[in-house]
Amino acid sequence: MPMLSEKQTLLRKLQSCGFALLEANLYLDSHPTCRMGLEYFRKHKQRYEELEKEYTDKFGPLRAIDSPGTDKWEWVTSPFPWERGEN
Amino acid sequence: MWQYEKKLQYPVNIKNPNPALAKVIVSQLGGPDGELGAALRYLNQRYAAPCREVQAILNDIGSEELNHMEMIGTILYQLTRNLSIKEIKDSGFDVYFVDHTTGVYPIAASGVPFSASTFQSLGDPIADLNEDLAAEQKARVTYDNILRLADDPDVRDPIKFLREREIVHYQRFGEANRTICSMLIVIIKWEKLKGLCFPLAFLYCVY
Repeated sequence: MPMLSEKQTLLRKLQSCGFALLEANLYLDSHPTCRMGLEYFRKHKQRYEELEKEYTDKFGPLRAIDSPGTDKWEWVTSPFPWERGEN
Repeated sequence: MWQYEKKLQYPVNIKNPNPALAKVIVSQLGGPDGELGAALRYLNQRYAAPCREVQAILNDIGSEELNHMEMIGTILYQLTRNLSIKEIKDSGFDVYFVDHTTGVYPIAASGVPFSASTFQSLGDPIADLNEDLAAEQKARVTYDNILRLADDPDVRDPIKFLREREIVHYQRFGEANRTICSMLIVIIKWEKLKGLCFPLAFLYCVY
């Protein structure tokens, strides 16, 4: 396994938690009253929000609209994810 | 509406450029069973879905396909970095290069540009969902074929992830199809009770 940067390490956590959320989302679309599914969703959603805040504070906004918009347009100060090592 | 998030659904970090491999993987961008066609298929079919559960599946899987399009674009971009003219000629990438340089462009591996004639949106949820089930299997086979051709682990890893997604989507579309079929049975029983006879298309409009 290649060495991961600090950004990548945190991003892996965010990606895997986001993946759990997406899986729950698609499953719940066809099982909207499944209590286990709903509980799984809520658990991961809380974790995702914590991780997203930590990631955004350290490495910049994930969405353009989340840029604070203070001295410089923060959206263009962090790389896009198709660059190697940035995803 | 959609909002872009500056991250990939699954990581793509390829050390070694390989234009010959890019030439076949491009089919999952613009080929007959590629991710662009998948996104357009589901996102256009969703309006004709007769209930919220099926609307949600088409909407949400259609949106996920956009993530996959971005992953395939990233694979193509990283496979075609810093190429010499010799590498371009020797790999057979020259036929792509002459028209697109190393720009990411949606074509099939055969060179045919992306076409909306690779999918349908028929306004009939049973016909549409059965097409979607087939589409997921066809995309899965294309990923299997790519895995037969690719030996770079940096490429195989994200391709394996994308292959697995086809299987999960197939499962979810199967459930959506079952939801509609059981809805139809209820409607048909109700019809018999009332002695009514409407064409199926009308019934879809009602629900």
